[in-house]
Amino acid sequence: MLRTLIMSVVFVFLALVFCGFIIASVGFNPIEVYGKMITKVFFSGKGIRKMVEASLPLMFCALGVALTFKMNLNNIGAEGQYAMGVIGGGAFVLFGPQIEGPAGMVITALCCFLGGAVWALVPALTKAYWDVNESITTLLLNYIALMILSYLCLGPWKKPGQNVGQTERIPRGLELPEIGNTGINVGLIFGILVAVLIYLAYRCTTDGYQLSVIRSSKNAARYAGINIRRNIIFVMLLSGGLAGLGGFVQYSAVTHRIMEGMPNNAGYTAIVIAYLSRLNPLVVIIVSILFAGLQNSSATVQVLGVPTQIATMIQGTIMLFVIASEFFQKYKLVRVKEVEE
Amino acid sequence: MTLLISLLSGALVYAVSVMYAGIGETFSERAGVMNLGVEGVMLMGAVSGYITAVHTQNLPLSFLVVLLTGAVLGLLFAFLTVTLQSDQTVCGMAMLIFGTGLSGFLGKDVAGVAANLKFEIIKIPGLCRIPILGKVLFEQNLLVYAMYIIVPLSVFYIYRTRYGLKLRALGENPAVLDAAGDNVFAMRYGYVVFGSMMMAVSGACVSLANTNFWASGMTAGKGWIAFALVAFSSWNPLMLTCGALLFGFISCLGSNLQIYLPQIPTEVFSMLPYIATIAVFILSTGNFRRKHTAEPAALMKPYDRESR
Amino acid sequence: MKKKLLSVLVTTAMAAALLAGCGGSSESESSEASGETKDVKDLVIGEIHYSVVEDGGWAQGMHEGIVTACENLGIDTETNLLTMEEIAEEDTALVESTVEELVDNGADIIFGCSAGYATILAELQEEYPDVIFAQQGNDVYDNIVEFQIRGYEGDFLTGYLCALMNEGSDELGFCASMDEASVRTAVNSFALGAKYANPNAKVQVVWADSWYDLDIESQNAKTLIDKGIKYMGMEASSPAVPQTCEENGAFCIGYNVDMEASAPGAVLTSFVWNWAPIFEDIMQKTADGTIEISANYYEGGECAALAPFNADLVPEEIQKQVEELKEKVLSGEVAIYGGELKNDKGEVLVEAGEVMSDEDILAQDFFVENVIGGKN
Repeated sequence: MLRTLIMSVVFVFLALVFCGFIIASVGFNPIEVYGKMITKVFFSGKGIRKMVEASLPLMFCALGVALTFKMNLNNIGAEGQYAMGVIGGGAFVLFGPQIEGPAGMVITALCCFLGGAVWALVPALTKAYWDVNESITTLLLNYIALMILSYLCLGPWKKPGQNVGQTERIPRGLELPEIGNTGINVGLIFGILVAVLIYLAYRCTTDGYQLSVIRSSKNAARYAGINIRRNIIFVMLLSGGLAGLGGFVQYSAVTHRIMEGMPNNAGYTAIVIAYLSRLNPLVVIIVSILFAGLQNSSATVQVLGVPTQIATMIQGTIMLFVIASEFFQKYKLVRVKEVEE
Repeated sequence: MTLLISLLSGALVYAVSVMYAGIGETFSERAGVMNLGVEGVMLMGAVSGYITAVHTQNLPLSFLVVLLTGAVLGLLFAFLTVTLQSDQTVCGMAMLIFGTGLSGFLGKDVAGVAANLKFEIIKIPGLCRIPILGKVLFEQNLLVYAMYIIVPLSVFYIYRTRYGLKLRALGENPAVLDAAGDNVFAMRYGYVVFGSMMMAVSGACVSLANTNFWASGMTAGKGWIAFALVAFSSWNPLMLTCGALLFGFISCLGSNLQIYLPQIPTEVFSMLPYIATIAVFILSTGNFRRKHTAEPAALMKPYDRESR
Repeated sequence: MKKKLLSVLVTTAMAAALLAGCGGSSESESSEASGETKDVKDLVIGEIHYSVVEDGGWAQGMHEGIVTACENLGIDTETNLLTMEEIAEEDTALVESTVEELVDNGADIIFGCSAGYATILAELQEEYPDVIFAQQGNDVYDNIVEFQIRGYEGDFLTGYLCALMNEGSDELGFCASMDEASVRTAVNSFALGAKYANPNAKVQVVWADSWYDLDIESQNAKTLIDKGIKYMGMEASSPAVPQTCEENGAFCIGYNVDMEASAPGAVLTSFVWNWAPIFEDIMQKTADGTIEISANYYEGGECAALAPFNADLVPEEIQKQVEELKEKVLSGEVAIYGGELKNDKGEVLVEAGEVMSDEDILAQDFFVENVIGGKN
């Protein structure tokens, strides 16, 4: 575990050195750029607050996605499930009975969860019963969900008078509050809670155990009498629901309105986060926050004059390096095993 | 009748622009390497070709640069996934982000600059006079004509040649090939590079054939469609053609139906290609009776000689 | 573990040093309150875009407007113009960081160059009361400057131009992107312009239902051409429609920026957003300290401009006619949204002798009588 951490840090450092050359090649001082990135984004009160804020939807989507990956199911549909989650929650907030306060929030969250889960239903059932490749169905369903979302935001749900695809503000009583005066949203605790729950479920329940058996070998699982079908459906729906919750935190804690292109690639970023976290729900929390910081740093870098595309490339490069580091870890691990034998 | 011609030819033009990427991805996945970064490679292909076109006004040279760009990116991807055995999903996503960023950066100077140089439509004398089909099939640009050869050739290659057999083995059980003395790594490198080159050509279809300009992120999700069509086709170039044509045909149809069925909300037509593709996909690959999946068994599994 | 601790310490120390270093320089810049007068050349301008500025469409028009305004006022765009690209409107945290960075770098005015920033900027204004926030949008908020162009004036002229060119036929086309008020405005004023030239003119609309999709845009143009339509307007951010027209012998109007170079054989002229006069005024007034933060700009005339005519395609006679109509619109002789105006269901929107209010023009939720294929 520690070794993984150190390797990852070393490789992030190497990535930064590499990107330093890119930055220098377009005529900027990499030390200055990184210095500002670090001080502004990762080590300032405001920076941390924004980092957490931006990480909330990523976190939930990544938790959901990681669940399916753990079972060798490829849910690429977090983007669409997120959108449908927002639509589910929005339907309650805009048209449902006006319940405010914690009860209202719980119902909104449930509606978001349901929205996301419903969107995962078709891929789940077709995968479970007919073995239809879920990565394709979930991917294509994203497009449909986003179209429905933009139709609603520009059409029937639009707040009248303005010229953007946004709905009315969510009632104050349904906003997720901050933790005390820290400026950090309760959503973070919520996310950590979910992550811990998932972690414990894997460790301590038979369902969790069954899932890990299915991952290692479907045949073994079948032989052991595990109902694979039931597990596939359960995990897919849960994953979709979690992505829907990503929509919920964004809606209720961050944007406070439903917007036309609200998921904004969070569902795809979540895939990367899930993998970088090696599917460990607790690590997902940390990686989402760091990743959000990396995305936020785009503003800090640009204001110095560095083109936005360079900021994007830095993100890609860091990902590549961290992933490449896995190779070297693998080899170290193998050697240790041999010694033990 | 003109309507039918227009629908079919629209479908064909659309189909070809995703099929290059699709066939590239097919080969790559058949060899056991999934490249999720299709969109990034396409954008790089589109921008490199367009930059060369603007500066040199030389189409063959531009096309060469497109291929070269694809090859370089393919080498990088192969190094990461085959040599370093990194996770293919993340590498793909990283390529996507990297390619999108780099293409936007490189293309800054040619955005909005007209090259006025592209693969023009060439009528094939004689053949283009065949009723309906002539207009659809033989009044197209060179990239479309090339596709007429590439599809049968790749089907033949995969299913009828010794190399194709090896390619399929590469994606199913690379250890067998290794035991037989073939170089698994070299083969995977080859197919990943080839696949990446084809993806770059798809980008060229966008910036140098169907439309003729450069704008950052101009492929707007096409790479993902290509990626989806590969699994849709069960890794078979012929089915890929059908899938791409179906998708293209329905989106063209939707555009026309807006006029002829005005009472139905246009959003329905916009969703139709996706809904139809999902439906056909479920029906055609659904395991209703038989127990077999076409997915290469070793897909996304790096080959490691030591853990053989 | 020790190593890690060390590295953390080093980074922190480095960070602290840098913080101290940066702090000194930026303080002096941002402490100046913008309520006071200031030499206009010293203004620092921030602009926020949802895409890159070389998008060949909306963002490019905005960026060029800001650059022109800066140049006219003698503001150095190298040092005093801070351009922030690819800031997604949905990503609240990123927008907030962007504004914070701009303020820290001494920005006196921050331009939100896409309508989606309005809600966030209005909230942030309370946090940074010394900065002027200028936002493209309708007059919704009291604490930010909002600006909009009467694009319908230009669209009206293009509709008129197309109908004049379209001799012997009453059918015109329009390729629209998403169903949104500003797009409806473009469609409607194009149709009204066409009607002004030819009372029987009808405009067939096809929708892409996407802000950016080259394949669908091309296909939609093709659909119109197949239907026998030769002249069309459009509302899209790419030259896909013009290039499709060129390939199939049809003609169209470019949008957002001058698109003639991309399809010289098809683009008659282009509707371009000329933001510079508005931006110049905002900048000048900010420097003078006379700007009102609740100000609202809704400008027509030279702001809703047409690019030069494509002399190879548009006969001089017709060019002159369009110029004449332009004068009439400017002088108020022709009221574009004047009565009697009916919607596509035949209901009267504006009684004869009356003119539609700006609010209704901005928030168009109707299609005029001669539009076919409008949404409900």
